Amino acid sequence: MITAAWIALFSPAVAVVLLALAGRRVSGRQAGLVTATAVLVSFAGAVVAFVTLLGEDPGERANASTIWTWLSAGSFKAGLEIYLDPLSVFMMLVVSGVGFLIVCYATGYVHGEDEERRYHAYKALFVFSMLLLVMSGNLLLLLAGWGMVGLSSYLLINFWWYKPQAVAAGKKAFIINAFGDATFVLALFLIIQKVGSVDFTTVFSQAPDKIGAGTTVAILIALGLLGGAVAKSAQLPLHTWLPDAMEGPTPVSALIHAATMVTAGVYLIARTHVLFDLAPAVHDTAAILGGVTIVVAGLIALVQTDIKRVIAYSTMSQIGYMFVGVGLGAYGPGMFHLMTHAFFKALLFMTAGIVIHCISAEQDIRKMGGLARHLPWTYRLFLVGALSLAAIPPFSGFFSKDSILSSAIGAGGLGIAMWVLGIIGAFLTGLYTFRLLFIVFFGEESEFAKQHLHKERFEGPFAMMWPVAILAVLAAFAGWLQVPGGWALVTDWLDPVVESIPEATGGLLVFSIAGSLVAAALGVLVAWRLYGRPSHVPAMLRERFAFGHRVLEHKFYFDQLYDALFSRPSAALAVGLNRVVEKPLILGSAGDIGTGVRGLARRVAQTESGLVRLYALLIAAGLVVILVVFLAVQ
Amino acid sequence: MNGPGIAAYLVLSTILFTTGAIGVLIRRSPLIVLLALEIMLNAGNLSLIAFSRHSGDGAGQIFALAVMVVAAAEVVVGLGLIVAMSRKHVPLDVDKLDTLKG
Amino acid sequence: MTLLLASTAGDVLTWIVWVAAALALLTTGFAVVLFSNPFYSALALIGNFGSLAILYLLLSAEFVAAAQVLVYAGAVMVLFLFVIGYLGGHADTPWAGGRRVLRLTALAVGAAILVESVVAIALEANGSLSSEAEISGAFGSPAEIGRLFLSDYLLAFEVTSIILLVGAVGGVILGSGMKRDRTPRNELPPQPPVEQREMAGVE
Repeated sequence: MITAAWIALFSPAVAVVLLALAGRRVSGRQAGLVTATAVLVSFAGAVVAFVTLLGEDPGERANASTIWTWLSAGSFKAGLEIYLDPLSVFMMLVVSGVGFLIVCYATGYVHGEDEERRYHAYKALFVFSMLLLVMSGNLLLLLAGWGMVGLSSYLLINFWWYKPQAVAAGKKAFIINAFGDATFVLALFLIIQKVGSVDFTTVFSQAPDKIGAGTTVAILIALGLLGGAVAKSAQLPLHTWLPDAMEGPTPVSALIHAATMVTAGVYLIARTHVLFDLAPAVHDTAAILGGVTIVVAGLIALVQTDIKRVIAYSTMSQIGYMFVGVGLGAYGPGMFHLMTHAFFKALLFMTAGIVIHCISAEQDIRKMGGLARHLPWTYRLFLVGALSLAAIPPFSGFFSKDSILSSAIGAGGLGIAMWVLGIIGAFLTGLYTFRLLFIVFFGEESEFAKQHLHKERFEGPFAMMWPVAILAVLAAFAGWLQVPGGWALVTDWLDPVVESIPEATGGLLVFSIAGSLVAAALGVLVAWRLYGRPSHVPAMLRERFAFGHRVLEHKFYFDQLYDALFSRPSAALAVGLNRVVEKPLILGSAGDIGTGVRGLARRVAQTESGLVRLYALLIAAGLVVILVVFLAVQ
Repeated sequence: MNGPGIAAYLVLSTILFTTGAIGVLIRRSPLIVLLALEIMLNAGNLSLIAFSRHSGDGAGQIFALAVMVVAAAEVVVGLGLIVAMSRKHVPLDVDKLDTLKG
Repeated sequence: MTLLLASTAGDVLTWIVWVAAALALLTTGFAVVLFSNPFYSALALIGNFGSLAILYLLLSAEFVAAAQVLVYAGAVMVLFLFVIGYLGGHADTPWAGGRRVLRLTALAVGAAILVESVVAIALEANGSLSSEAEISGAFGSPAEIGRLFLSDYLLAFEVTSIILLVGAVGGVILGSGMKRDRTPRNELPPQPPVEQREMAGVE
């Protein structure tokens, strides 16, 4: 099993190296094949690990393996160490499984691009980094994976480097993530100082003693970790990079910004839950941030006109649910929702990608309409994803979202407040999801669609269709793994690693389920009323609530706020320093030094008159001085 | 030793040296400069011989002989230079020979 | 009494010779520097060398005195006189010139050197300079010089012979003037016309 795990980890890395060395010698298709094979190997390794863990005793399911000690200083050791336990294997399966499907999809999507090979190499790099992140056995290696997924994300967001918006988006993502990385590293320093180690078993077993509950250090550590998680998972307030990241190709949005990278924050909180338990205030903050994000992101999604951006805000909102889950201690439901969300969000992105592909790369939904007639299968697949997202039973989203909500309401106190936010979010989710579906697929065909629509035999290229179909099946049926009030396979599986709070039972459970169902159905109905049929109501609403509409359109002015708080002062500081310090002192001084030396040299050169007599005179004068010195010394 | 002591010889040598030095520094003809240089060398020789007598060590005389050799070689080269200069019609004036200026 | 007379007579004779030689030395020295005609300066220098030889004799350096006359007065000055004769009128130069400051400074420097040295000597005159060493009869004799040259100062002996060789070779080369005047080095051979050069560049 350990060997299988190592192979699973390094297989995509090998793919990257091969592709980097092969360069132009392979075709784009072959590059895609290499990456897909590598990820499939990883998935196989994950399955092997999973099966082997199943065979083990639940209490014994924790295996660590180190192949290289990188840093050894006294008693502190850190190296290339993997840790196989239910949580990491769970993540491995999700990452490599969904990753494989998306990579195959991508071979169709980027076929024909000039830089197809580079894309596949970057994809392989990303899968490797993500696997490194989830499989690592110590916090330092996790940080390495953390940084590398950030890098891969940056590389893939501005894949089309000649587009200035893409470049700007890549930079924005990287910088905001860098902030999270910085807080993470600071937390890591504190951990090393207090516990003297970074590997999981040591840290988690000794943290309660060495760090203590409720101490300032514990709060700082948890805050640092939370900062990293919030940045990586695009929760408020570090969320502004995710919508811009849609500049990347659609499979990138599907894999990185829906299924895997953005869920790394959730994984981190689940993995380091021991440290969060030591700082309950920060733990609650995570839940609160998640709850607020659910609502804010849902509101913004209502007015977006770019198909991918709607789905992006939806991702933000759903991760909010996951944060509520892990924030309140419902780790099982949170991770379960992570899995189902990976399925249906990737599904949504990929079907959106098929739509975009079929109308010549147009993403504005106002230019679409009535596409269900032309792309029936795409529509049906999208519908499955939408129903799942809106948490309509029996699709998977229903089960996972309700797991979280019932745990929340069962937790009492803060949990109830989060439950309320979650219900509002369910309403908004139904509303914006079906708004999107109705605008794109129903109604009259737009002029644009009529002119630019082109389909292939299976509506999209075959390579793009079959992974989507598989995901649709998963999105439809994966929910049955955990039924609130019935069985909870995921929570049980994760129990040895992270104990989850119990879900609500009995009347409270029924109340919660009813509440979320009602909210979701209401959302769908309102969407149907407003967008399913031709109606003047949306326009009227836009006028009546013009101010609100503007606020939502500008995404609550977060971007402008950050611009004013951070970018403008930094830019002004740089300009100021350039003017005051760089130019006069450094650049100017170089010129001044040169001029000064030249002037001095000119004055010295005047002594070289060429007259031998003068030189002899100077020698004689020197002799006089020496004689005086000798006499004086005597 | 009969006659004046070493000190007198040394004073003599100093006056001769100074005369030669002023000659080198003031005269403009390279020939005269060479001659004055010879005077300086000989002044040095005189004090060498005087000290040799004073200390009873023959090394001073050896040194003086070596100085003579060097002076002779230097005169040969210097005069060769002057002859070459005059053949190339370079003015025989120390002040005019300033191509090394700057 | 006669011994005293003889010794004082020897002393007196030494003094007379010394004073005469010293006066001659200084006079000829000034003459070398002051004459404007280089020929006269050279002749004065010959007299200078002669006086020096006498002083060397007084200091018991017989071989050096002989060498002085033979080498300096006999060879070096003859060389000088030959060259002055060869140059003839070309050797005429203003007596002195240049900037006034330089001349005055030169005089000042010379005076300073003189004063300082005299002071130094005077300070030591009654100290370390007061007594001379006892010397043997062989001191300053050719045998002694030869012995020293071939034993303690062999290196100096060899090096001086090399210097002489170099000087001789240098003198021959400098004075021969066998090389023809050739074009100065920094002049390029004539360039081909512009069109040819451009055509050559296009390949």
